[in-house]
Parts: sequence; C-alpha cells; structure tokens
Amino acid sequence: MSLTTPLASPDLVPVLASTWFGGGLSPEAVARLASIATLRDVPAGTELFHEGQLTEAMSIVVAGRVALRTLVPERGMVTILTVEAGDIVGWSAVVPPHRATSAGIAIEAVTLLEFPGERLRGLLREDHPLAASVYPRVLQAVGRRLAATRLQLLDLFAHEEWGRRESGSW
Amino acid sequence: MVNEEYLPYAPYPSPTGTAVAAPPAHGGAGPSSGPWFLARANLGLLLDLLGEDGRTVIGPTVVDGAVVYAEITSEDDLPIGIGDVQSPGHYGLVSRGDRRVFDYTVGPLSPKRWTFPPVVALHVGRRDGRAVSFEAALVDPPKLAFFGVRACELAALGIQDRVFLGGPYTDEDYRARRRNALVVAVNCTTSASTCFCTSMGTGPEVRGGYDLALTELDEGFVIRSGTPEGADLIARLPLRGADAGQMFRAAEEVGKVAATIGDPVPTAGLHDRLLAQFDSPQWAKVAERCLSCANCTMVCPTCFCSSVTQRSDLDGGVSTSDRVWDFCFTAGFAKVAGGNFRSRPRDRYRQWLTHKFATWVDQFGTFGCVGCGRCIAWCPVGIDIREELLAVAPPLAARPEPARPQPIAATPGSYATARIVSVRNETEDVTTLTVGDVDPAFLAGEFGQFAMVAVPAFPPLPISISRFGRDAIDLTIRAAGPATAAIIGMEPHDEIGLRGPLGTSWPIERAMGHDVVIVTGGIGLAPLRPLIDELLAKRDHFESIRLYYGARTPSDHLYREELRAWAARGDVDVQLIVDRSGPGWTGPVGVVTHLFDKATWDGGRSLAFVCGPERMMEATVRALEVRGLSSDRIFVTLERHMECGIGLCGHCQTGRLFVCRDGPVFALSQLGDVFGREGM
Repeated sequence: MSLTTPLASPDLVPVLASTWFGGGLSPEAVARLASIATLRDVPAGTELFHEGQLTEAMSIVVAGRVALRTLVPERGMVTILTVEAGDIVGWSAVVPPHRATSAGIAIEAVTLLEFPGERLRGLLREDHPLAASVYPRVLQAVGRRLAATRLQLLDLFAHEEWGRRESGSW
Repeated sequence: MVNEEYLPYAPYPSPTGTAVAAPPAHGGAGPSSGPWFLARANLGLLLDLLGEDGRTVIGPTVVDGAVVYAEITSEDDLPIGIGDVQSPGHYGLVSRGDRRVFDYTVGPLSPKRWTFPPVVALHVGRRDGRAVSFEAALVDPPKLAFFGVRACELAALGIQDRVFLGGPYTDEDYRARRRNALVVAVNCTTSASTCFCTSMGTGPEVRGGYDLALTELDEGFVIRSGTPEGADLIARLPLRGADAGQMFRAAEEVGKVAATIGDPVPTAGLHDRLLAQFDSPQWAKVAERCLSCANCTMVCPTCFCSSVTQRSDLDGGVSTSDRVWDFCFTAGFAKVAGGNFRSRPRDRYRQWLTHKFATWVDQFGTFGCVGCGRCIAWCPVGIDIREELLAVAPPLAARPEPARPQPIAATPGSYATARIVSVRNETEDVTTLTVGDVDPAFLAGEFGQFAMVAVPAFPPLPISISRFGRDAIDLTIRAAGPATAAIIGMEPHDEIGLRGPLGTSWPIERAMGHDVVIVTGGIGLAPLRPLIDELLAKRDHFESIRLYYGARTPSDHLYREELRAWAARGDVDVQLIVDRSGPGWTGPVGVVTHLFDKATWDGGRSLAFVCGPERMMEATVRALEVRGLSSDRIFVTLERHMECGIGLCGHCQTGRLFVCRDGPVFALSQLGDVFGREGM
C-alpha cells in the first residue's frame, strides 16, 4: 500500500457526518468513529487494496472515484463497479475473514476517511451500540452493491427491446 | 384554442325532447326548411307569445346602470340602443343611438339566478314533544322563458346540468326549474374586452341547448329553432325565410366577434399545467390584490357552492332549512372545529382557479369556466383571470398550441411515404435516420410519440421519433433482425413508409417550474431526446435538470457529441455510467441508479422521466421513490409488441391498458400494480 502521509485534521466529525455513511449514524457513533479516523489524499492510480489480501482499513470516499476490479485471465483487470463520494470501500475490514473481494484502485485523485481495520474491529467489539448502528450501514452498502451487480449480470442493454421490436423474434 | 375534450356542451334533454332540426313551420318547401327572418317590429310578438303560454319572461333590462336579467313584459323593457363597456374592474353602459336590442354583452346576472337561486327552501323540520318530522319543501318552480341568453350562458347551463343532474345524485329543485324554463338564445354580435368564450370553446355562436336562437341584424333577426317547443313558437310567428344575404351577414357578424376576441387563454394542457403549480409564487402575488370579497363567484354563471342555514321560530318548534349560495373565498368556508384549512387568501384563490380549470374537469369532465369574463369586470380590484392563468401556468409554446396532431395513415394498411435525408451511425448497432418529406403531422408530433415504419417485404416496426426538426424527423433504430437491418441499410433519397405519430407523450408541461430528473439506459435515450431538446430550448421554465444515462459499454452511449454539448452548457447535470468499463473510461461503472442512490438532492419538487428496459426502470423507480418522488411524478415507458399502433390488434395489451394507444408513456400511478408484474 502506498498511501501518502496523513493530513493534519483536528476535527473529522463534520467530514464524517456529511457523508452518506456517516449521515445515518448517531452523533455519539460519529464521534467515536472520528476518533480513530484519518483523512488521506491518494493520487490517481494507487491500489488501495488487493483482491484476496487482508483488508487493512475500511474507508469512506470523501472525494474522487475508486474502481473495484477483478482479475480475469486473458481479460486483465475488469472493473465491476466504481465507488464514489459518500460510499465505503474496504468493508471486508469488518467482515471475516477480512480479505478483499476485489482490488480497489483510485482512478482519480481520491480523498479517503480511513478507519484502521484492527482499531475499528476492537471498537465495534467493545461498543455494542456503536456496532449496532455501524453494521446495518455496512450491510446497506454491501446489499446495494449486490442488487446492482445482479442487474449488471442481467446484461439488460444487450437484450433491450426498445426501438427494435422486430415482430416474431421472441 | 379550444380543448375539445372539455367542452361543456352536454345539452340537457330539452323540455319536450331532444334537439331537432327546425321542422316545417307553415308547411311546404322553401322557407320552412331554413332559418327564418323576424322583422324588428315583430320582436314584441315573440314576447307576447311567451306570455300567452303562461311564461314569465326573464330578459335583459337596464337596472341601476347595468343590463341585468329581470322579469320583462314588453319590448319597451329591453335595452334598446344600449351597449356596455367592460374592462378589468370596470363596467359601464353607453348609448348607441340605434334600435338594436342585443348590442350589450353580459351583465352581472346570469340564468343561474333562476336555475340555482341564491336561497331555496329545502325542508321544514318540526318538533312535537320528543318526536321530530321533516317535510321536504314543495318544488313548484314558475314557468319561465329566458330571453337573450348568450352562448357562454348556454354553456354555463350545460355545465350546471352536469353538476346537478349528472348523477349519481341529482338536484330535483334544479331539475324542475330547468324543465320549466324555455330558452331564447342570442348569438353575440358584439364583444367586451373581458370576453374569452373563444378560448373556452363556448361562443360567440350558440351551438345547442336552446329552443330558439336569434341573430340580430339592423333590420331584424335571423331566427331558428332547436326544439319542437321552439318550432311551435316559430309556427305562430309572422316570419319569412331568411334570404341568403341575411344569413351571410348574420354569420359574418358572429365571425367578426370571434376574431376580435381571439384566443387569450390557451387551454391545451391547462389541467395538467395548473395542477403542477400548487406552489407557484403567483398565488401569493395575486393574494396581495385579492380582497376575498367573492364577487367573482357571485357573478360566475357556474359556481355552485352552497351552505344550509336554518330559520327557526322562537321556540324552535318549526324551522325551515334553506340552501344558500356560499363562496370558497369567504373566511369560514373551509373552517372546521380544528381551524381553517384555507385561512389565507392565496389558498382561496388557488382553490377557486384550480377548481375552475382543473379539478372541475376531474369532477365533471368539463372546465368550470365558460369565458364570460364577469369575474374580470366585477372584481373590485380588477384581477384578470386570463392574466393569472398565464402567470401561474404559462403554455410552453409562445404561439397558441395546436390541437393534438391527427396521425396520418392511421389504419394499419395505409402508409405515407417519406424520404431519407441522411444516415448516421450512433454506435456499432444503432443508426439514426433523418427523414424528410414527411407529412406535417409528424413535424407537429409530441415528444415521446412513435411512428410505424415500413419497407416492403418486411413487417412494419414501431420506432420512437428521436428528434423533431423543422422539416424532418429523426428515427433511431437498433439492428436486431432482418426488418431493422433493411431499414438501417437504406441510403439517402431512399423512401420508407410511415404511419403516425402515435402514442402518448412526455407531459413536459407538468414539469414547468420543477426539477427534472431523466433516467435512461441504452437506446432509451432516443424517445427522450425530443424532450431534452425542448427542456433546453425552454430552459428558463424549469429548475434543475439532471440526466442519468447508463449503457452497456462506453461506446454504447448514443448521441455522444450531444451529451458532451449538453454537459458543457453548465445548466444541465449530465452523468453517464456503464455496466462494463472500456479502454480510456474513467467514469462510473455500475447500474444507472448508482449515479443517484446516494445523492443528496430532494425529489419532492421533481418530476422524473424514465425510459429503458423494464427491469432497469423498476430499480430506477425504487431509487426515485427513496428520493421522495411520488408515483404520479414518475413517468415511464412500457415496451410491448406493438403491431397496429392504434389499440386494435391486441398485442400490446397490458391489464386494462394498450401500450400503443394509452402509452408508451405512462405515469407510474396510472400503471398501478401492472408495472413490473410477471406475465403482463
């Protein structure tokens, strides 16, 4: 991982609260999470995590775009989905076995609000109310990706009928 | 322009039967078959005949500086040589110095004063010890003849008929009064500056609902009957057949009035335009002037709101219930124990205007306004309802909007030909044909409509019209089989067959003053492109515009140069996404909802237009509903096998709807649970 030096960020509470992820959490939860967070700027092209390897941190994308990519033999790295501002990357940091399900590459300069995996897990283990508000949010993000990926799997535009409507072809 | 859908004429069955062509009056051919001529000197005879028949004549006469309806007994009561001058907040009489009787327009009173009187007894309630009884009031209206009724007033009677007799509950008092009244109508040969019957489709020429109709010329009256009762009067009057010159001059005078009035209130789409403007700032503006005095509703020939009051003797033993006129402008009209639902004048004005021109249509199938202009002249501060309509719900087009275009070659067997002007490849398998030499019906088509496109030897295909040019249309077609291949393979100067334009369109007028969200995928952008063209051409009429467009790969986006140009404008948020990334693509990857499912904009003031594969639209609709858009503000297109294009072949039926006729554009609320249901 080749992240740049952490930025000096005295107060990350408003940054966290203004994201989709943090916007749905209680002020207490936001404060606790912010206490372990770091704001990082990442240049375009950085690989944030690698498919199959331990995920070292869960992050909220504050700005920029991260591509989630999977290696397909002979096709190279295929982008499955992109993650934009507000959403999380590295959710596997809080879901066993904590291994990344895809590679995460910053395809633009990206600003991340990063929660180190081990500290985050420790926090969630000891603070059950915090865990009870964070996990549904994580599941929401993962569930949304699952639903979107299913739609992608349908490859709707390859079969779309609008504008063609040839009689008798189905 | 008249919106034919909401014409108020639903002539109440005339007292003695349905309207008929004038029957022979004196027997024989000639004059008996055409309109007759009544000499000016004999007008009094008509009044006498009405009196002989036991009718009280309610006709125009001058009272307190206005021409009003009142009981008249002879020609001398008529406003001979009197005219009126009307403008917002002003009414005055002028002397014309001639012998003409009907050279005024309309005064403050209308026949409503007699068909729906300000006070009508309903019943008498009695208390006798612990027992109570209620006795319905006797309905015994006088036998009347309304004399000098104008076309707008006849239309108002037609509206009242719908209100009181259209069911399921009918007003027997009204029915009796109406049945007992004969109508002598007059075609208008003069107009006031406040008139707008032409816009409402009600005048200046009477079109039905009369027993006799007169048109005044200098020397007398062209007269015709509309019912057997009218014909009976005709038979008893000294008449001769109107000659060609008289008939021509009568038509000319009425025609001149129509031309003078013009079309001050474009009514096309007015219902939807108004209902989209519940939060227009204009309501507050007009309320700064409105006094909530209710004059407008009192002089209105169709306003029918009422309350019931009690008149009781001192010990409460006998009380009479009266139905009295009430007005939505008064302070107590919407008051309940918990407070007043319309305490502000702006709310009351909105209630009145939206009822007259929109919710009345939902309630009774007709506008509640006939364009008589009384509310304009008699408003003490001169509020002009025509101006308010234009300010609240302006029509999109500067010119009067044309009526919905009639498709050409509508029947499946017939096609009009058009010529291909140019062919442009949009993507690997999508081509846009620009087609010229098209019938003007296509150029006047609406955004979202489609055409049936045919080349010999192949089945015709429904293709969305993807642009309306000045003298050509675009058709964007995806290669999917032999017929599309045959169409796409054509070259400039080749001819194709077209039928259309067919189907429903995007309700762009509903979006005025709102945020607009367009969500589409793949070739679904094609039927939306004319809508986008129009939104951008009228950019000031809309708040934010957001376009979310998904495609399979970056090279599958249609109209890429235009997408760039739209984005470069800076006043449209254009966001693209792909299912599968490609070389050089650094934009978002995922499904189209990914572009806005974490957005922060509030959909409460948005209208959404959605076109794409049905599964994509389902996901989109769910994501839009999360953003606060209700189902009546989400418009989708349905894709079904369309064969005939006119709702007759049965292929595209889905539930009670036919996609080609009722769609392809639907409000989500219109589809209900048909949307996304398996096997529909």
